[in-house]
Amino acid sequence: MRRVLVISWREFVATVATKGFILGLVLPPIIMGAAITLMPMLMNKQLPKVSGHIAVIDRSGAVHGKLEERYSPGAIAKRREQRAEQMKRAASKVGVSESMMKQSPGGVNLPGAAPAPSLSVRKLPTEADVEEAKQELLKATGKEQDVDQERRLALLVIPPGAVTPTALEGEKPGYEKYDIFVAPRLDIEVQEDIRDQANAAIVDARLESAGLDVARVRSLMARPEAEKKAVTREGERKSSEVAQFLVPGAFMFLLWVSVFSAGQYLLTSTIEEKSSRVMEVILSAVSPLELMTGKIIGKGAVGLLILVLYGGVGMAALAAFALSHLIAWQSLVYFVFFFVIAYFTIAAMMAAIGAAVSEVQEAQSLMAPIMVVLVIPMILWMPILRNPNAQFAQVLSFVPLINPFVMVLRLCGSEPVPAWQPPLAVLVGLLTVVVMVWGAAKIFRIGVLMYGKPPNLKTLLAWVRMA
Amino acid sequence: MSNHADAAIQLGGVNKSFAGKPAVVDLDLRIDRGSLIGLIGPNGAGKTTTIRMIMSIIFPDSGTVEVLGRASAVESKDRIGYLPEERGVYKKMKVGTFLEYIARLKGVPEHEVRRRAGAWLERVALPNVWKKKCEELSKGMQQKVQFIASVIHEPDLIILDEPFSGLDPVNARLLRTLVDEQHDRGATIIFSTHQMSQAEALCDRVVMIHEGRKVLDDTPRSIRQRFDPRAILIDPVRIDESTAHLAAIPGVSGVARFGSGVIKVHLADGVDATAMIGRLAAAMPANRVEVERPTLEDVFIQIVSGSEANEEERARLLHAASSRDGGGD
Repeated sequence: MRRVLVISWREFVATVATKGFILGLVLPPIIMGAAITLMPMLMNKQLPKVSGHIAVIDRSGAVHGKLEERYSPGAIAKRREQRAEQMKRAASKVGVSESMMKQSPGGVNLPGAAPAPSLSVRKLPTEADVEEAKQELLKATGKEQDVDQERRLALLVIPPGAVTPTALEGEKPGYEKYDIFVAPRLDIEVQEDIRDQANAAIVDARLESAGLDVARVRSLMARPEAEKKAVTREGERKSSEVAQFLVPGAFMFLLWVSVFSAGQYLLTSTIEEKSSRVMEVILSAVSPLELMTGKIIGKGAVGLLILVLYGGVGMAALAAFALSHLIAWQSLVYFVFFFVIAYFTIAAMMAAIGAAVSEVQEAQSLMAPIMVVLVIPMILWMPILRNPNAQFAQVLSFVPLINPFVMVLRLCGSEPVPAWQPPLAVLVGLLTVVVMVWGAAKIFRIGVLMYGKPPNLKTLLAWVRMA
Repeated sequence: MSNHADAAIQLGGVNKSFAGKPAVVDLDLRIDRGSLIGLIGPNGAGKTTTIRMIMSIIFPDSGTVEVLGRASAVESKDRIGYLPEERGVYKKMKVGTFLEYIARLKGVPEHEVRRRAGAWLERVALPNVWKKKCEELSKGMQQKVQFIASVIHEPDLIILDEPFSGLDPVNARLLRTLVDEQHDRGATIIFSTHQMSQAEALCDRVVMIHEGRKVLDDTPRSIRQRFDPRAILIDPVRIDESTAHLAAIPGVSGVARFGSGVIKVHLADGVDATAMIGRLAAAMPANRVEVERPTLEDVFIQIVSGSEANEEERARLLHAASSRDGGGD
């Protein structure tokens, strides 16, 4: 046992204490976490208050008034409130509650958080020179903050044809385009806002010129809203279809990635020991079984590290978005069970393959059948999630090799899995582990000192049958 | 011979074949504690297979293996040091870490691990490699590190498979000194080699394996006596001198001349070689007249090539061996 632990520790350190591992696996979650927390802070904090005026050359005569209404301080405040409301609704669709948004570190980028722009509309004479008016936009880049409203941020030139349809030669009557000139480096949101408001003001003017009640038409056009709730045994709760699919998928993917990268590390380290001929040196000190056990445990610790690291970030993210309810704690317990089962099954195969071949390339052909089986849960995750208790999903839950992945998906899925199934799946998994490790130990013992032509699957099975 | 307790290794009727091809046949071998044994034999003779069976890395098809009084080397791994023929290092591992790792695996007490590894590196003249990666070392340096790995736990039994291959003369001599030191410490040492001169210089006893069978098991001295070719070598002053009159001398059974001009005079049975030297020297002016001493290499070649082998070929090989001996010692 002492030797096994010495080997495990070396295997763990040899993988983890490399630049490649740290860069490849440790940095991405850190960077992502930093991005998630820092980005909103940066976006909110760095927005300067925008103030200035929008010049309008209104040749239709009907738009200027409408625009001025839309840029009254009251209207601006109301718009911002509406947008904040919209954002909340959108967020709750993916399961983010309002309270969570405020509690989440750094805060989510609510529009209300940025300082409100102070904008006014200034009417220019209809016959004003457009070129001259444009020149003012360039001055807006100056730093004279005190002259506030003197800064010209945008210039609208609205032809009569934008409100009253005019027939162009040989074409159906249509509305003419209008021009928006904006100051260089004007905040993108302000630009969008000006365009939206100008569009709306022009439509208002059209409605009015058609003799319709603008307010009434607008209220009729309001988007209908639905309140969607999932009915569960525990009662109704807000449903969030995106999270419902992503979270279980993410957990299965996490299981897959951690198990598989650890397995891959095990494979390459075994092949390296063979190809560098250090194998026999090690075997003079330990038995093949001790070596294999030590290697499997050591690389398993690497897999667990990946799992905890990514899983921890994932759970923290779920907590931050108040979505923890999507993963029951019982599922997490099973998750650990299934990690152990999936890892030992795959690790046993990787150790056997690594011991049987002498070069990484030779491992490919033996890996192919395993890969084919292992991609099944990746392909089927959608159908399984949509119907966790479908017959095929139930059957796959007891198929060795892929059952840990399928079971994790089903456990995180929307429908509760029959209570007897997870323990049975664990049992099937444990039996698979016993058989796999037993077979791998035999292949390992024979394979580690075999050089030359790589064996095929048939040879490997023959080795297993040998004493 | 019957006292098992004194045997470090005891093989009885061991057989091993690979895919139907016999690698070791009916091998009996007893190696006493504290002895230094050379295992010699041509490529593919079964040396490494024998060693691997002793190490319990592979298992015999039949027969018994007893190592350090136990039924298998697995039970006394910490008391055995093994330098395999197929040896390597972890390329990316630091030399110091590698030696510490091996020492820990072999049960060296934790407080001793670092000190011993450091002291050994000093001993083999590699004091500054502790922090270097193994792949940065030359092949010879790596081999010294591997040798350390096989003796760092002060084993009772040391098995070295081709320890001299790939070493330059200076390092080969260093290794010989180190092996001697281990022997003096009381360790039983068994090593395989192709280099007969190393075996001759080091061993108490030589075991030769040929085609899976043990063909020799004796001290180098008695082997040489047994394989005395009963011949005298003459290096004539004038190369073109006729040898006809030498053949006429009583007691001479044959005369052969090598390409280099050296003449080999075979003696008839029962003739005193020392007395013949004087007679031959008188018959032909010579730079050098000596009794041909068989080296292990001669014996090796004689056994491997068989008695029916081409005489010319054997003579050439024998001459090469004798001239090397002349220049070396």
